[in-house]
Amino acid sequence: MNIMKPSTASPTAKTKYCCIAGAILMIALAVLSLLVGKYPLSLEKLLAGDELQRRVFTTLRLSRTVVGLVGGFALGVSGFVYQTVFRNPLASPDIIGVSSGASAGAAAGILFLSGAAAVTASAFAGAVAAVILALALSSLDKSGRSGTIVLAGIAVHSLAQTALMCLKLTADPERELASIEYWIMGSLNGVSAHTIRGNLALCIVCLGALFLLHRQIILLSAEEGEARTLGVNVGFLRLIVLLTATLTVANVVSLTGLISFVGLLAPHGARLLLKNNHIGATLLSGLLGAVILLAADILARSVAGAELPVSIFTSLVGAPFLISLLIRGRKQA
Amino acid sequence: MSSFQVNGLCAGYGEKKVIDCLSFSLENGRLMGVLGANGSGKTTLIRSICGILRHEGECILEGVKLEGLSPRQLSQKCSYIPQRSGITIDISALDVVLMGFNPQLGLLERPTDAIKKQALAALDHAGIGSMAEMNYMHLSEGQKQLCILARTLVIKGRLLLLDEPESALDFRFRYRMLEIIRNWVRQDSRFALVALHDPMLALNYCDELMLLKNGRNIGVIHPSLDSFERMEEMLCEIYGSISLTACRDKAGRKHIILLNEGADGP
Repeated sequence: MNIMKPSTASPTAKTKYCCIAGAILMIALAVLSLLVGKYPLSLEKLLAGDELQRRVFTTLRLSRTVVGLVGGFALGVSGFVYQTVFRNPLASPDIIGVSSGASAGAAAGILFLSGAAAVTASAFAGAVAAVILALALSSLDKSGRSGTIVLAGIAVHSLAQTALMCLKLTADPERELASIEYWIMGSLNGVSAHTIRGNLALCIVCLGALFLLHRQIILLSAEEGEARTLGVNVGFLRLIVLLTATLTVANVVSLTGLISFVGLLAPHGARLLLKNNHIGATLLSGLLGAVILLAADILARSVAGAELPVSIFTSLVGAPFLISLLIRGRKQA
Repeated sequence: MSSFQVNGLCAGYGEKKVIDCLSFSLENGRLMGVLGANGSGKTTLIRSICGILRHEGECILEGVKLEGLSPRQLSQKCSYIPQRSGITIDISALDVVLMGFNPQLGLLERPTDAIKKQALAALDHAGIGSMAEMNYMHLSEGQKQLCILARTLVIKGRLLLLDEPESALDFRFRYRMLEIIRNWVRQDSRFALVALHDPMLALNYCDELMLLKNGRNIGVIHPSLDSFERMEEMLCEIYGSISLTACRDKAGRKHIILLNEGADGP
Protein backbone atom coordinates (compact mmCIF):
# COMPACT_ATOMS: atom_id res chain seq x y z
CA MET A 1 0.00 0.00 0.00
CA ASN A 2 2.82 2.39 0.86
CA ILE A 3 4.35 1.87 -2.53
CA MET A 4 1.08 2.91 -4.15
CA LYS A 5 0.94 6.24 -2.30
CA PRO A 6 3.32 8.30 -4.47
CA SER A 7 1.72 7.12 -7.68
CA THR A 8 -1.76 8.13 -6.47
CA ALA A 9 -0.56 11.69 -5.98
CA SER A 10 1.57 12.03 -9.09
CA PRO A 11 -0.96 11.74 -11.99
CA THR A 12 -2.90 14.79 -10.80
CA ALA A 13 0.30 16.69 -10.08
CA LYS A 14 1.65 15.80 -13.51
CA THR A 15 -1.57 16.95 -15.15
CA LYS A 16 -1.31 20.23 -13.26
CA TYR A 17 2.32 20.83 -14.25
CA CYS A 18 1.71 19.97 -17.89
CA CYS A 19 -1.33 22.25 -18.08
CA ILE A 20 0.55 25.14 -16.41
CA ALA A 21 3.50 24.66 -18.76
CA GLY A 22 1.11 24.51 -21.74
CA ALA A 23 -0.68 27.67 -20.61
CA ILE A 24 2.59 29.58 -20.17
CA LEU A 25 3.78 28.50 -23.61
CA MET A 26 0.43 29.47 -25.11
CA ILE A 27 0.52 32.94 -23.52
CA ALA A 28 4.11 33.49 -24.62
CA LEU A 29 3.23 32.59 -28.19
CA ALA A 30 0.14 34.79 -28.05
CA VAL A 31 2.29 37.77 -27.02
CA LEU A 32 4.79 36.95 -29.76
CA SER A 33 1.91 36.64 -32.23
CA LEU A 34 0.75 40.15 -31.29
CA LEU A 35 4.14 41.63 -32.12
CA VAL A 36 5.43 39.64 -35.11
CA GLY A 37 4.38 40.30 -38.69
CA LYS A 38 4.96 42.33 -41.83
CA TYR A 39 4.82 45.44 -39.71
CA PRO A 40 6.73 44.62 -36.51
CA LEU A 41 5.37 46.12 -33.34
CA SER A 42 7.25 46.82 -30.15
CA LEU A 43 5.86 47.04 -26.66
CA GLU A 44 7.57 50.38 -25.87
CA LYS A 45 6.16 52.15 -28.90
CA LEU A 46 2.70 50.69 -28.27
CA LEU A 47 2.72 51.88 -24.69
CA ALA A 48 4.08 55.25 -25.76
CA GLY A 49 0.92 55.63 -27.84
CA ASP A 50 2.27 55.51 -31.40
CA GLU A 51 -0.90 55.95 -33.51
CA LEU A 52 0.08 53.68 -36.43
CA GLN A 53 1.34 50.96 -34.10
CA ARG A 54 -1.87 51.08 -32.11
CA ARG A 55 -4.04 50.83 -35.21
CA VAL A 56 -2.15 47.79 -36.54
CA PHE A 57 -2.46 46.24 -33.12
CA THR A 58 -6.22 46.66 -32.74
CA THR A 59 -7.36 46.05 -36.33
CA LEU A 60 -4.98 43.28 -37.39
CA ARG A 61 -2.97 41.58 -34.67
CA LEU A 62 -5.43 41.37 -31.81
CA SER A 63 -8.23 39.62 -33.70
CA ARG A 64 -5.76 37.36 -35.50
CA THR A 65 -4.17 36.28 -32.22
CA VAL A 66 -7.52 35.70 -30.55
CA VAL A 67 -8.67 33.51 -33.46
CA GLY A 68 -5.40 31.56 -33.31
CA LEU A 69 -5.77 31.05 -29.59
CA VAL A 70 -9.45 30.16 -29.38
CA GLY A 71 -9.45 28.36 -32.74
CA GLY A 72 -6.47 26.17 -31.84
CA PHE A 73 -7.96 25.43 -28.44
CA ALA A 74 -11.30 24.51 -30.02
CA LEU A 75 -9.70 22.22 -32.62
CA GLY A 76 -7.68 20.47 -29.90
CA VAL A 77 -10.64 19.91 -27.60
CA SER A 78 -13.05 18.77 -30.30
CA GLY A 79 -10.40 16.43 -31.73
CA PHE A 80 -10.13 14.88 -28.28
CA VAL A 81 -13.89 14.47 -28.10
CA TYR A 82 -14.11 12.91 -31.58
CA GLN A 83 -11.39 10.37 -30.87
CA THR A 84 -13.04 9.37 -27.60
CA VAL A 85 -16.59 9.11 -28.91
CA PHE A 86 -15.64 7.19 -32.07
CA ARG A 87 -13.21 5.03 -30.08
CA ASN A 88 -10.74 5.61 -32.86
CA PRO A 89 -7.42 7.42 -32.48
CA LEU A 90 -7.60 8.70 -36.07
CA ALA A 91 -11.08 10.21 -35.87
CA SER A 92 -11.34 13.94 -36.51
CA PRO A 93 -14.09 16.47 -37.23
CA ASP A 94 -13.55 15.85 -40.95
CA ILE A 95 -15.11 12.44 -40.43
CA ILE A 96 -18.62 13.84 -40.50
CA GLY A 97 -17.99 16.23 -43.33
CA VAL A 98 -17.64 19.53 -41.50
CA SER A 99 -14.61 20.70 -43.47
CA SER A 100 -15.95 19.86 -46.90
CA GLY A 101 -19.30 21.41 -45.98
CA ALA A 102 -17.54 24.59 -44.91
CA SER A 103 -15.50 24.66 -48.14
CA ALA A 104 -18.59 24.28 -50.31
CA GLY A 105 -20.35 26.96 -48.27
CA ALA A 106 -17.42 29.35 -48.56
CA ALA A 107 -17.22 28.77 -52.33
CA ALA A 108 -20.91 29.59 -52.66
CA GLY A 109 -20.35 32.69 -50.54
CA ILE A 110 -17.44 33.85 -52.70
CA LEU A 111 -19.47 33.33 -55.89
CA PHE A 112 -22.85 34.72 -54.92
CA LEU A 113 -22.30 37.03 -51.96
CA SER A 114 -19.91 39.83 -51.24
CA GLY A 115 -17.79 40.70 -48.25
CA ALA A 116 -15.71 38.65 -45.83
CA ALA A 117 -18.48 38.44 -43.25
CA ALA A 118 -20.88 36.95 -45.80
CA VAL A 119 -18.32 34.32 -46.80
CA THR A 120 -17.81 33.38 -43.16
CA ALA A 121 -21.54 33.11 -42.60
CA SER A 122 -21.95 31.03 -45.74
CA ALA A 123 -19.09 28.70 -44.76
CA PHE A 124 -20.62 28.29 -41.32
CA ALA A 125 -24.01 27.49 -42.86
CA GLY A 126 -22.34 24.92 -45.16
CA ALA A 127 -20.54 23.25 -42.28
CA VAL A 128 -23.64 23.06 -40.10
CA ALA A 129 -25.77 21.82 -43.00
CA ALA A 130 -23.26 19.03 -43.72
CA VAL A 131 -23.18 17.95 -40.10
CA ILE A 132 -26.94 17.98 -39.66
CA LEU A 133 -27.37 16.04 -42.90
CA ALA A 134 -24.79 13.45 -41.80
CA LEU A 135 -26.35 13.00 -38.37
CA ALA A 136 -29.88 12.89 -39.82
CA LEU A 137 -28.83 10.22 -42.33
CA SER A 138 -27.18 8.18 -39.58
CA SER A 139 -30.30 8.35 -37.42
CA LEU A 140 -32.17 6.43 -40.14
CA ASP A 141 -30.31 3.37 -38.87
CA LYS A 142 -32.22 2.67 -35.68
CA SER A 143 -29.56 0.38 -34.22
CA GLY A 144 -27.44 3.47 -33.49
CA ARG A 145 -24.02 2.05 -34.39
CA SER A 146 -21.23 4.59 -34.47
CA GLY A 147 -20.02 3.11 -37.76
CA THR A 148 -23.20 4.39 -39.40
CA ILE A 149 -22.26 7.97 -38.55
CA VAL A 150 -18.88 7.49 -40.21
CA LEU A 151 -20.52 6.08 -43.36
CA ALA A 152 -23.09 8.88 -43.46
CA GLY A 153 -20.23 11.36 -42.99
CA ILE A 154 -18.33 9.90 -45.93
CA ALA A 155 -21.47 10.17 -48.09
CA VAL A 156 -22.03 13.80 -47.10
CA HIS A 157 -18.33 14.55 -47.57
CA SER A 158 -18.41 13.35 -51.17
CA LEU A 159 -21.68 15.22 -51.82
CA ALA A 160 -20.09 18.43 -50.54
CA GLN A 161 -16.98 17.78 -52.65
CA THR A 162 -19.18 17.41 -55.72
CA ALA A 163 -21.01 20.65 -54.91
CA LEU A 164 -17.65 22.36 -54.46
CA MET A 165 -16.46 21.05 -57.83
CA CYS A 166 -19.59 22.34 -59.56
CA LEU A 167 -19.14 25.75 -57.94
CA LYS A 168 -15.50 25.86 -59.02
CA LEU A 169 -16.50 25.06 -62.62
CA THR A 170 -18.78 28.08 -62.73
CA ALA A 171 -16.23 30.34 -61.03
CA ASP A 172 -14.27 33.01 -62.86
CA PRO A 173 -10.74 31.55 -62.94
CA GLU A 174 -8.98 34.88 -62.50
CA ARG A 175 -10.54 36.15 -59.31
CA GLU A 176 -13.16 33.83 -57.83
CA LEU A 177 -11.42 30.49 -58.35
CA ALA A 178 -8.24 31.89 -56.84
CA SER A 179 -10.00 33.12 -53.75
CA ILE A 180 -11.85 29.81 -53.34
CA GLU A 181 -8.55 27.94 -53.51
CA TYR A 182 -6.94 30.42 -51.13
CA TRP A 183 -9.83 30.10 -48.68
CA ILE A 184 -9.59 26.32 -48.68
CA MET A 185 -5.88 26.44 -47.96
CA GLY A 186 -6.67 28.08 -44.66
CA SER A 187 -5.17 31.19 -43.13
CA LEU A 188 -5.68 33.45 -40.18
CA ASN A 189 -4.96 36.39 -42.46
CA GLY A 190 -7.88 38.71 -42.99
CA VAL A 191 -9.93 37.95 -39.90
CA SER A 192 -11.10 41.23 -38.49
CA ALA A 193 -12.62 42.22 -35.21
CA HIS A 194 -16.21 42.79 -36.29
CA THR A 195 -16.60 39.50 -38.19
CA ILE A 196 -15.26 37.18 -35.47
CA ARG A 197 -17.32 38.12 -32.44
CA GLY A 198 -20.36 35.94 -33.09
CA ASN A 199 -18.28 32.92 -34.08
CA LEU A 200 -15.98 33.18 -31.09
CA ALA A 201 -18.83 33.63 -28.62
CA LEU A 202 -20.64 30.54 -29.94
CA CYS A 203 -17.36 28.64 -30.03
CA ILE A 204 -16.66 29.39 -26.37
CA VAL A 205 -20.19 28.39 -25.33
CA CYS A 206 -19.79 25.05 -27.15
CA LEU A 207 -16.39 24.50 -25.54
CA GLY A 208 -17.90 25.10 -22.11
CA ALA A 209 -20.60 22.55 -22.86
CA LEU A 210 -17.99 19.98 -23.92
CA PHE A 211 -16.10 20.41 -20.64
CA LEU A 212 -19.34 20.04 -18.67
CA LEU A 213 -20.18 16.86 -20.60
CA HIS A 214 -16.74 15.32 -20.05
CA ARG A 215 -17.97 12.49 -17.79
CA GLN A 216 -20.63 11.54 -20.35
CA ILE A 217 -18.08 11.63 -23.17
CA ILE A 218 -15.92 9.13 -21.28
CA LEU A 219 -19.00 6.89 -20.82
CA LEU A 220 -19.52 6.98 -24.60
CA SER A 221 -16.05 5.51 -25.03
CA ALA A 222 -17.29 2.20 -23.63
CA GLU A 223 -18.86 -0.37 -25.93
CA GLU A 224 -22.40 0.61 -26.95
CA GLY A 225 -24.39 -2.01 -25.07
CA GLU A 226 -22.22 -1.53 -22.04
CA ALA A 227 -22.80 2.24 -22.01
CA ARG A 228 -26.52 1.64 -22.38
CA THR A 229 -26.63 -0.63 -19.35
CA LEU A 230 -24.82 2.11 -17.41
CA GLY A 231 -27.88 4.26 -18.00
CA VAL A 232 -26.57 6.23 -20.97
CA ASN A 233 -29.03 7.06 -23.73
CA VAL A 234 -26.25 6.35 -26.23
CA GLY A 235 -27.86 7.50 -29.48
CA PHE A 236 -29.16 10.78 -28.11
CA LEU A 237 -26.09 11.67 -26.08
CA ARG A 238 -23.75 10.89 -28.95
CA LEU A 239 -25.82 13.13 -31.20
CA ILE A 240 -25.64 16.03 -28.72
CA VAL A 241 -21.90 15.61 -28.10
CA LEU A 242 -21.01 15.32 -31.78
CA LEU A 243 -23.22 18.26 -32.70
CA THR A 244 -21.57 20.42 -30.03
CA ALA A 245 -18.05 19.36 -30.96
CA THR A 246 -18.74 19.92 -34.63
CA LEU A 247 -20.32 23.33 -34.07
CA THR A 248 -17.14 24.30 -32.25
CA VAL A 249 -15.10 23.32 -35.29
CA ALA A 250 -17.54 24.89 -37.73
CA ASN A 251 -17.11 28.23 -35.95
CA VAL A 252 -13.36 28.03 -36.42
CA VAL A 253 -13.08 26.73 -39.97
CA SER A 254 -15.67 29.16 -41.26
CA LEU A 255 -13.35 31.96 -40.11
CA THR A 256 -10.03 30.48 -41.14
CA GLY A 257 -10.59 27.91 -43.86
CA LEU A 258 -9.26 24.40 -43.47
CA ILE A 259 -6.55 23.81 -40.90
CA SER A 260 -5.18 20.32 -41.06
CA PHE A 261 -3.81 18.10 -38.34
CA VAL A 262 -4.32 20.31 -35.26
CA GLY A 263 -7.40 18.34 -34.23
CA LEU A 264 -5.48 15.10 -34.64
CA LEU A 265 -2.15 16.14 -33.15
CA ALA A 266 -3.17 17.97 -30.01
CA PRO A 267 -5.18 15.14 -28.38
CA HIS A 268 -2.45 12.60 -29.12
CA GLY A 269 0.15 14.92 -27.67
CA ALA A 270 -1.94 15.37 -24.52
CA ARG A 271 -2.49 11.62 -24.11
CA LEU A 272 1.17 10.80 -24.73
CA LEU A 273 2.15 13.28 -22.05
CA LEU A 274 -0.45 12.37 -19.42
CA LYS A 275 -1.43 8.78 -20.30
CA ASN A 276 -4.96 9.35 -19.04
CA ASN A 277 -8.28 10.77 -20.22
CA HIS A 278 -9.17 13.00 -17.30
CA ILE A 279 -10.66 16.41 -17.85
CA GLY A 280 -7.09 17.70 -17.46
CA ALA A 281 -6.14 15.81 -20.64
CA THR A 282 -8.96 17.57 -22.51
CA LEU A 283 -7.69 20.90 -21.23
CA LEU A 284 -4.10 20.09 -22.20
CA SER A 285 -5.30 19.00 -25.64
CA GLY A 286 -6.90 22.43 -26.07
CA LEU A 287 -3.76 24.21 -24.86
CA LEU A 288 -1.57 22.20 -27.25
CA GLY A 289 -3.97 22.97 -30.09
CA ALA A 290 -3.65 26.68 -29.37
CA VAL A 291 0.16 26.40 -29.13
CA ILE A 292 0.40 24.59 -32.49
CA LEU A 293 -1.92 26.98 -34.31
CA LEU A 294 -0.31 30.13 -32.87
CA ALA A 295 3.18 28.85 -33.71
CA ALA A 296 2.12 27.81 -37.22
CA ASP A 297 0.50 31.19 -37.81
CA ILE A 298 3.57 33.10 -36.61
CA LEU A 299 5.70 31.05 -39.04
CA ALA A 300 3.15 31.52 -41.85
CA ARG A 301 3.47 35.27 -41.73
CA SER A 302 7.18 35.60 -40.99
CA VAL A 303 9.05 32.87 -42.93
CA ALA A 304 8.58 34.30 -46.41
CA GLY A 305 7.86 37.74 -47.80
CA ALA A 306 4.32 36.73 -48.65
CA GLU A 307 1.67 35.29 -46.35
CA LEU A 308 1.70 31.45 -46.51
CA PRO A 309 -1.23 29.12 -45.78
CA VAL A 310 -1.12 28.06 -42.15
CA SER A 311 -1.87 24.40 -42.98
CA ILE A 312 1.59 24.12 -44.55
CA PHE A 313 3.10 24.52 -41.10
CA THR A 314 0.56 22.50 -39.16
CA SER A 315 1.11 19.69 -41.68
CA LEU A 316 4.90 20.03 -41.55
CA VAL A 317 4.72 19.26 -37.85
CA GLY A 318 1.74 16.94 -38.18
CA ALA A 319 2.88 14.44 -40.81
CA PRO A 320 6.10 13.33 -39.06
CA PHE A 321 4.27 13.20 -35.74
CA LEU A 322 1.55 10.99 -37.21
CA ILE A 323 4.12 8.66 -38.79
CA SER A 324 6.04 8.32 -35.52
CA LEU A 325 2.73 7.57 -33.82
CA LEU A 326 1.98 4.78 -36.29
CA ILE A 327 5.43 3.24 -35.83
CA ARG A 328 5.04 3.44 -32.06
CA GLY A 329 1.63 1.76 -32.29
CA ARG A 330 3.08 -1.06 -34.37
CA LYS A 331 5.87 -1.65 -31.88
CA GLN A 332 3.35 -1.96 -29.07
CA ALA A 333 1.12 -4.38 -30.99
CA MET B 1 -42.79 -13.77 -3.29
CA SER B 2 -41.37 -11.50 -5.92
CA SER B 3 -39.99 -12.93 -9.09
CA PHE B 4 -38.39 -12.32 -12.43
CA GLN B 5 -40.31 -13.68 -15.40
CA VAL B 6 -39.52 -13.91 -19.07
CA ASN B 7 -42.47 -14.70 -21.32
CA GLY B 8 -42.25 -15.70 -24.96
CA LEU B 9 -38.95 -13.97 -25.68
CA CYS B 10 -37.88 -14.09 -29.35
CA ALA B 11 -34.76 -12.38 -30.61
CA GLY B 12 -32.29 -12.63 -33.44
CA TYR B 13 -30.18 -10.84 -35.96
CA GLY B 14 -31.98 -9.80 -39.14
CA GLU B 15 -34.06 -12.72 -40.41
CA LYS B 16 -32.22 -15.27 -38.31
CA LYS B 17 -34.01 -16.17 -35.10
CA VAL B 18 -31.57 -17.10 -32.34
CA ILE B 19 -33.91 -17.17 -29.34
CA ASP B 20 -37.19 -18.85 -30.15
CA CYS B 21 -40.13 -18.07 -27.86
CA LEU B 22 -38.28 -18.68 -24.61
CA SER B 23 -39.98 -18.50 -21.20
CA PHE B 24 -38.79 -19.04 -17.65
CA SER B 25 -39.17 -17.58 -14.20
CA LEU B 26 -36.80 -17.07 -11.31
CA GLU B 27 -37.53 -16.44 -7.64
CA ASN B 28 -35.71 -13.80 -5.65
CA GLY B 29 -32.51 -14.62 -3.81
CA ARG B 30 -31.59 -17.21 -6.42
CA LEU B 31 -28.74 -17.48 -8.86
CA MET B 32 -29.66 -19.03 -12.21
CA GLY B 33 -27.05 -20.32 -14.61
CA VAL B 34 -27.59 -20.67 -18.34
CA LEU B 35 -25.81 -23.54 -20.04
CA GLY B 36 -25.66 -24.30 -23.71
CA ALA B 37 -23.26 -25.12 -26.50
CA ASN B 38 -21.67 -22.34 -28.54
CA GLY B 39 -24.33 -20.69 -30.69
CA SER B 40 -27.21 -21.90 -28.55
CA GLY B 41 -28.24 -18.30 -27.82
CA LYS B 42 -26.82 -17.59 -24.36
CA THR B 43 -25.35 -14.20 -25.27
CA THR B 44 -28.41 -13.23 -27.29
CA LEU B 45 -30.67 -14.05 -24.36
CA ILE B 46 -28.63 -11.98 -21.91
CA ARG B 47 -28.30 -9.02 -24.28
CA SER B 48 -32.03 -9.09 -25.02
CA ILE B 49 -33.05 -9.00 -21.38
CA CYS B 50 -30.81 -6.05 -20.58
CA GLY B 51 -32.29 -4.08 -23.46
CA ILE B 52 -29.32 -4.00 -25.84
CA LEU B 53 -31.02 -6.19 -28.46
CA ARG B 54 -34.51 -5.62 -29.80
CA HIS B 55 -36.80 -8.54 -29.05
CA GLU B 56 -40.39 -9.73 -28.86
CA GLY B 57 -41.96 -10.95 -25.66
CA GLU B 58 -41.66 -9.44 -22.24
CA CYS B 59 -39.38 -9.47 -19.21
CA ILE B 60 -41.07 -8.66 -15.91
CA LEU B 61 -38.95 -7.90 -12.87
CA GLU B 62 -40.89 -7.66 -9.59
CA GLY B 63 -44.01 -6.58 -11.43
CA VAL B 64 -42.28 -3.99 -13.68
CA LYS B 65 -42.05 -4.56 -17.39
CA LEU B 66 -38.42 -3.90 -18.38
CA GLU B 67 -39.21 -3.11 -22.00
CA GLY B 68 -41.10 0.04 -21.02
CA LEU B 69 -38.20 1.63 -19.10
CA SER B 70 -35.78 4.31 -20.27
CA PRO B 71 -32.07 3.35 -20.35
CA ARG B 72 -31.58 5.25 -17.11
CA GLN B 73 -34.47 3.56 -15.26
CA LEU B 74 -33.43 0.19 -16.63
CA SER B 75 -29.84 0.67 -15.51
CA GLN B 76 -31.03 1.30 -11.95
CA LYS B 77 -32.81 -2.06 -11.89
CA CYS B 78 -30.64 -4.36 -13.89
CA SER B 79 -26.95 -4.42 -14.66
CA TYR B 80 -24.89 -6.32 -17.17
CA ILE B 81 -21.38 -7.69 -17.37
CA PRO B 82 -20.20 -8.50 -20.90
CA GLN B 83 -17.68 -11.20 -21.80
CA ARG B 84 -15.11 -8.46 -22.10
CA SER B 85 -15.57 -4.78 -21.42
CA GLY B 86 -15.29 -2.51 -24.45
CA ILE B 87 -13.16 0.08 -22.68
CA THR B 88 -10.27 0.94 -24.98
CA ILE B 89 -8.93 4.21 -23.58
CA ASP B 90 -6.40 4.89 -20.82
CA ILE B 91 -8.47 5.29 -17.69
CA SER B 92 -7.85 4.28 -14.07
CA ALA B 93 -9.59 1.30 -12.47
CA LEU B 94 -11.23 3.71 -10.02
CA ASP B 95 -12.68 5.74 -12.89
CA VAL B 96 -14.08 2.57 -14.42
CA VAL B 97 -15.90 1.82 -11.16
CA LEU B 98 -17.11 5.43 -10.96
CA MET B 99 -18.87 4.88 -14.31
CA GLY B 100 -21.21 2.59 -12.37
CA PHE B 101 -22.59 5.56 -10.43
CA ASN B 102 -23.85 7.21 -13.60
CA PRO B 103 -27.49 6.13 -13.05
CA GLN B 104 -27.49 7.97 -9.71
CA LEU B 105 -25.89 11.16 -10.99
CA GLY B 106 -27.38 14.03 -12.97
CA LEU B 107 -26.20 14.59 -16.54
CA LEU B 108 -23.61 17.22 -15.59
CA GLU B 109 -22.99 16.13 -12.01
CA ARG B 110 -19.57 14.90 -10.91
CA PRO B 111 -18.91 12.06 -8.46
CA THR B 112 -18.51 13.36 -4.89
CA ASP B 113 -15.84 12.24 -2.44
CA ALA B 114 -18.40 10.01 -0.69
CA ILE B 115 -19.07 8.26 -4.00
CA LYS B 116 -15.32 7.86 -4.58
CA LYS B 117 -15.05 6.18 -1.19
CA GLN B 118 -17.84 3.77 -2.10
CA ALA B 119 -16.06 3.00 -5.37
CA LEU B 120 -12.81 2.25 -3.54
CA ALA B 121 -14.69 0.00 -1.12
CA ALA B 122 -16.21 -1.87 -4.07
CA LEU B 123 -12.73 -2.43 -5.53
CA ASP B 124 -11.55 -3.69 -2.15
CA HIS B 125 -14.51 -6.03 -1.98
CA ALA B 126 -13.61 -7.44 -5.39
CA GLY B 127 -10.08 -7.97 -4.10
CA ILE B 128 -8.28 -5.46 -6.31
CA GLY B 129 -8.37 -2.42 -4.01
CA SER B 130 -4.62 -1.84 -4.39
CA MET B 131 -5.03 -1.29 -8.13
CA ALA B 132 -7.45 1.64 -7.94
CA GLU B 133 -5.05 4.12 -9.55
CA MET B 134 -3.65 1.71 -12.13
CA ASN B 135 -4.46 2.08 -15.80
CA TYR B 136 -7.37 -0.26 -16.57
CA MET B 137 -5.77 -1.17 -19.91
CA HIS B 138 -2.71 -2.52 -18.10
CA LEU B 139 -4.66 -4.89 -15.84
CA SER B 140 -4.83 -8.62 -16.58
CA GLU B 141 -8.07 -9.96 -18.06
CA GLY B 142 -9.06 -11.37 -14.68
CA GLN B 143 -8.43 -8.09 -12.88
CA LYS B 144 -10.35 -6.23 -15.58
CA GLN B 145 -13.33 -8.51 -15.11
CA LEU B 146 -13.25 -8.05 -11.32
CA CYS B 147 -13.08 -4.29 -11.86
CA ILE B 148 -16.18 -4.45 -14.08
CA LEU B 149 -17.84 -6.63 -11.43
CA ALA B 150 -17.11 -3.93 -8.82
CA ARG B 151 -18.58 -1.31 -11.17
CA THR B 152 -21.72 -3.40 -11.60
CA LEU B 153 -22.28 -4.09 -7.93
CA VAL B 154 -22.16 -0.42 -6.90
CA ILE B 155 -25.34 0.18 -8.91
CA LYS B 156 -27.20 -1.88 -6.28
CA GLY B 157 -29.72 -3.00 -8.87
CA ARG B 158 -32.12 -5.92 -8.48
CA LEU B 159 -31.11 -8.11 -11.39
CA LEU B 160 -27.60 -8.94 -12.49
CA LEU B 161 -26.98 -10.33 -15.97
CA LEU B 162 -23.62 -11.86 -16.78
CA ASP B 163 -22.43 -13.16 -20.10
CA GLU B 164 -19.77 -15.83 -19.61
CA PRO B 165 -17.95 -13.64 -17.09
CA GLU B 166 -15.55 -16.45 -16.28
CA SER B 167 -14.31 -17.18 -19.79
CA ALA B 168 -11.19 -14.99 -19.47
CA LEU B 169 -10.48 -15.82 -15.84
CA ASP B 170 -8.03 -18.29 -14.40
CA PHE B 171 -8.96 -21.03 -11.93
CA ARG B 172 -8.87 -18.99 -8.72
CA PHE B 173 -10.55 -15.88 -10.10
CA ARG B 174 -13.46 -17.98 -11.39
CA TYR B 175 -14.36 -19.15 -7.92
CA ARG B 176 -13.88 -15.73 -6.39
CA MET B 177 -16.16 -14.15 -8.99
CA LEU B 178 -18.98 -16.68 -8.56
CA GLU B 179 -18.63 -16.40 -4.77
CA ILE B 180 -19.05 -12.61 -4.91
CA ILE B 181 -22.05 -12.91 -7.23
CA ARG B 182 -23.72 -15.53 -5.04
CA ASN B 183 -23.29 -13.41 -1.90
CA TRP B 184 -24.66 -10.38 -3.74
CA VAL B 185 -27.77 -12.32 -4.73
CA ARG B 186 -28.37 -13.66 -1.22
CA GLN B 187 -28.03 -10.17 0.25
CA ASP B 188 -31.33 -8.29 -0.20
CA SER B 189 -32.82 -11.26 -2.12
CA ARG B 190 -31.76 -10.17 -5.58
CA PHE B 191 -31.75 -12.02 -8.90
CA ALA B 192 -28.89 -13.07 -11.12
CA LEU B 193 -28.79 -14.77 -14.49
CA VAL B 194 -25.35 -16.00 -15.54
CA ALA B 195 -24.46 -17.55 -18.86
CA LEU B 196 -21.61 -19.92 -18.09
CA HIS B 197 -19.09 -21.68 -20.24
CA ASP B 198 -17.94 -24.10 -17.59
CA PRO B 199 -20.69 -26.60 -16.57
CA MET B 200 -18.82 -27.73 -13.47
CA LEU B 201 -18.67 -24.19 -12.10
CA ALA B 202 -22.37 -23.85 -12.87
CA LEU B 203 -23.29 -27.10 -11.10
CA ASN B 204 -21.45 -26.04 -7.95
CA TYR B 205 -22.53 -22.41 -7.65
CA CYS B 206 -25.96 -21.96 -9.22
CA ASP B 207 -29.29 -22.65 -7.54
CA GLU B 208 -30.90 -23.43 -10.89
CA LEU B 209 -29.56 -24.16 -14.34
CA MET B 210 -31.46 -23.42 -17.51
CA LEU B 211 -30.38 -25.58 -20.43
CA LEU B 212 -30.46 -23.88 -23.80
CA LYS B 213 -30.47 -25.66 -27.14
CA ASN B 214 -31.11 -23.95 -30.48
CA GLY B 215 -32.60 -20.96 -28.70
CA ARG B 216 -35.10 -22.98 -26.69
CA ASN B 217 -35.30 -23.71 -22.98
CA ILE B 218 -35.08 -27.51 -22.89
CA GLY B 219 -35.37 -27.73 -19.11
CA VAL B 220 -34.26 -26.45 -15.74
CA ILE B 221 -32.22 -28.46 -13.24
CA HIS B 222 -31.60 -27.80 -9.55
CA PRO B 223 -28.11 -29.12 -8.76
CA SER B 224 -28.69 -29.36 -5.00
CA LEU B 225 -32.08 -31.11 -5.25
CA ASP B 226 -32.24 -33.19 -8.43
CA SER B 227 -30.92 -36.73 -8.69
CA PHE B 228 -27.69 -37.26 -10.62
CA GLU B 229 -29.56 -39.51 -13.08
CA ARG B 230 -31.99 -36.77 -14.04
CA MET B 231 -29.23 -34.16 -14.36
CA GLU B 232 -27.02 -36.50 -16.39
CA GLU B 233 -29.88 -37.26 -18.74
CA MET B 234 -30.59 -33.57 -19.32
CA LEU B 235 -26.95 -32.44 -19.58
CA CYS B 236 -26.36 -35.17 -22.20
CA GLU B 237 -28.69 -33.19 -24.48
CA ILE B 238 -26.05 -30.46 -24.59
CA TYR B 239 -22.71 -32.02 -23.89
CA GLY B 240 -23.15 -35.52 -25.31
CA SER B 241 -22.16 -38.50 -23.24
CA ILE B 242 -21.25 -37.34 -19.72
CA SER B 243 -21.56 -38.56 -16.16
CA LEU B 244 -21.67 -36.83 -12.78
CA THR B 245 -20.00 -37.81 -9.57
CA ALA B 246 -19.65 -36.19 -6.17
CA CYS B 247 -16.63 -35.80 -3.97
CA ARG B 248 -15.62 -33.78 -0.93
CA ASP B 249 -12.73 -31.36 -0.52
CA LYS B 250 -10.51 -31.36 2.60
CA ALA B 251 -12.89 -29.00 4.38
CA GLY B 252 -15.70 -31.45 3.78
CA ARG B 253 -17.61 -29.40 1.21
CA LYS B 254 -19.38 -31.37 -1.50
CA HIS B 255 -18.33 -30.78 -5.11
CA ILE B 256 -20.02 -32.10 -8.22
CA ILE B 257 -17.61 -33.37 -10.87
CA LEU B 258 -18.53 -33.71 -14.52
CA LEU B 259 -16.82 -36.45 -16.51
CA ASN B 260 -16.69 -36.85 -20.25
CA GLU B 261 -17.85 -40.36 -21.23
CA GLY B 262 -17.82 -39.73 -24.96
CA ALA B 263 -15.86 -41.56 -27.62
CA ASP B 264 -13.43 -38.64 -27.91
CA GLY B 265 -12.42 -38.85 -24.24
CA PRO B 266 -8.80 -39.31 -23.19
